Amino acid sequence: MLKYLLRRLIFGLPTLVGISIVIFVVMRVLPGDPLVAMFGAEGFQRLNPADRARIMSDLGLSDPLPVQYVHWMKDIASGSLGRSFFRGDRVSELVLHRGPLSAEIGVLSVLISWLVGLPVGITSAVRPNSLADNVGRSVSVLFLAIPGFWLGMLIVLASLFWFHYKAPLVVVQLWEDPWTNLQLAIGPATVLGLGQGAYIARMTRSCLLEVIGEDYVRTARAKGVAERLVVVRHALPNALLPVITVSGILMGFVLGGSVAVEQAFGVPGLGTALVTALVERDIVVVQNLVLLYGVIFMLVNVLVDLSYALLDPRIHHE
Amino acid sequence: MDKLDAARRRAGRIAVVAARNPVSAAGGVAVLVLILLALAAPLVSPHDPLKTDFRRLAAPPDARNYLGTDQVGRDTLSRIIYGTRTSIFVAVSAVLLGTTVGSVWGLASGYLGGRVDLVSQRFMEVLQSFPDLILAMAISMAIGTGMPAVIVAIAVTRIPFGGRVIRSVVLSVKELAYVEASRSTGASPLRTMAFHVLPQCLAPYLVLATTHLGVAVVIEAALGFLGVGVPPPTPTWGNMLADSLTSLVPHWWLVFFPGLAITLTVLAFNLFGDGMRDALDPRVYAGVVRAMTGPRRLRRGT
Repeated sequence: MLKYLLRRLIFGLPTLVGISIVIFVVMRVLPGDPLVAMFGAEGFQRLNPADRARIMSDLGLSDPLPVQYVHWMKDIASGSLGRSFFRGDRVSELVLHRGPLSAEIGVLSVLISWLVGLPVGITSAVRPNSLADNVGRSVSVLFLAIPGFWLGMLIVLASLFWFHYKAPLVVVQLWEDPWTNLQLAIGPATVLGLGQGAYIARMTRSCLLEVIGEDYVRTARAKGVAERLVVVRHALPNALLPVITVSGILMGFVLGGSVAVEQAFGVPGLGTALVTALVERDIVVVQNLVLLYGVIFMLVNVLVDLSYALLDPRIHHE
Repeated sequence: MDKLDAARRRAGRIAVVAARNPVSAAGGVAVLVLILLALAAPLVSPHDPLKTDFRRLAAPPDARNYLGTDQVGRDTLSRIIYGTRTSIFVAVSAVLLGTTVGSVWGLASGYLGGRVDLVSQRFMEVLQSFPDLILAMAISMAIGTGMPAVIVAIAVTRIPFGGRVIRSVVLSVKELAYVEASRSTGASPLRTMAFHVLPQCLAPYLVLATTHLGVAVVIEAALGFLGVGVPPPTPTWGNMLADSLTSLVPHWWLVFFPGLAITLTVLAFNLFGDGMRDALDPRVYAGVVRAMTGPRRLRRGT
């Protein structure tokens, strides 16, 4: 198991390097001059060419591209991730300050998606084509189509309109003030959770339907096992594996979606930081955050693969 | 007379396929309506989507502006109708571009195998390691905002899907006896690929191209919402939602209706895509192709 984990991580390294190169190239073909973004069009005009060159070299943007890339790798290795163009803060501080909130939103949303998606999927599969199944499926189809950030905006608007309630807008960590922190996280987590829940419900239904048709389930029924136990003990564990895979793939949906959803709720998480950096064309922040999202996505999928071995004794990772 | 008969029979078969899956058929009809709406936008919209009216700033829905006006007095309904153009045009071109590039790449890498295959597989893996929206955001920001930039940004996120699916089809098809036969009679790799392998990729390509339209619509809207989409003043649903946030307390009609338009469009594309996938499932594929192309007289007995 440990050996498998190590091998996965080592094989993941070239992919990570690939990801970093792709981001680096994408960020550097940027046609807009970062100085224009920093000083505004007027401020840029007032700078004389010598100043421009000096600032560019201060920012490390006048070095040849491979040198810039190596600098970035060094910044990553040192743990500081480089400094923001605008605030001069270390990007690592930004990540440590805002990351926990976004991580919390992500984890909560996965929990919510399972809490909502599994029961709906199971209910559908146990009585296919019943009223409950049809309602469950229709609602899932609807939630697959609703963009999360719009649902978020509607929730914010409705709570403001009917309850005169507005969630706090400052970063509050879980360990500082759990109640305020929860108010920040619960909205985005619910929206993202319902979006994923729709996929989970769909997958659970189709996998469970398939498993329920198998011989060993019939055997269990023939033995006189109670129907509830047949579903929960016999059928469900085998149906869960693909559902977990989907949940892992959905991490991409959560990571990407959280950026827009955080923006919709005005939650000051990593996603909001990424959007701000994009608008300000703060290359250093953008490249590090995008890399971070890529790394998290990859690690989650390694975890998903590992969880197979824990759940299914037939799978050995050797 | 014979032609008319054939056409009638063909229409009958499509009706049979549609009747078996009425929900997807409804999705298909909705897609058609959306496309017509996009084409006929100037005829259908009651007002000019760009014309500001400073006597009617942020007016709620009434008899003059059915869905109200925004903060600078532009008609919401007209902007939504024009937004259909951007949304559908971007989604369709991005998915076609991305899926086609990915498919051609997958075809080449699957057929050629070896080092080409290895390198392209790694590259696809890298592309797939980014969450869709984040990759699209970075690319759209990098090549500068504008419709082509948005189309390319969304297309890039679709490449690995086309690449992986088509590659796997090619890998299984190229071992089949008839492809081997073509190769053994001395056909060049290009000819074999074009005449014997490519036709087998048509169904999965169509499924890919239709099932990803909904996602593309959402990404386009999200990019607009985050300020890296098709830039204003072009009316897009994402821009409209972003604009609604500029007032302290957003007006409900400026939030509700553009989002509803996104949801309905995605719903229509998703249902249509699901229907295509079910219809083009290899087990029923032959029947549907016959329904679409009419009876094949030449190859009786296959």
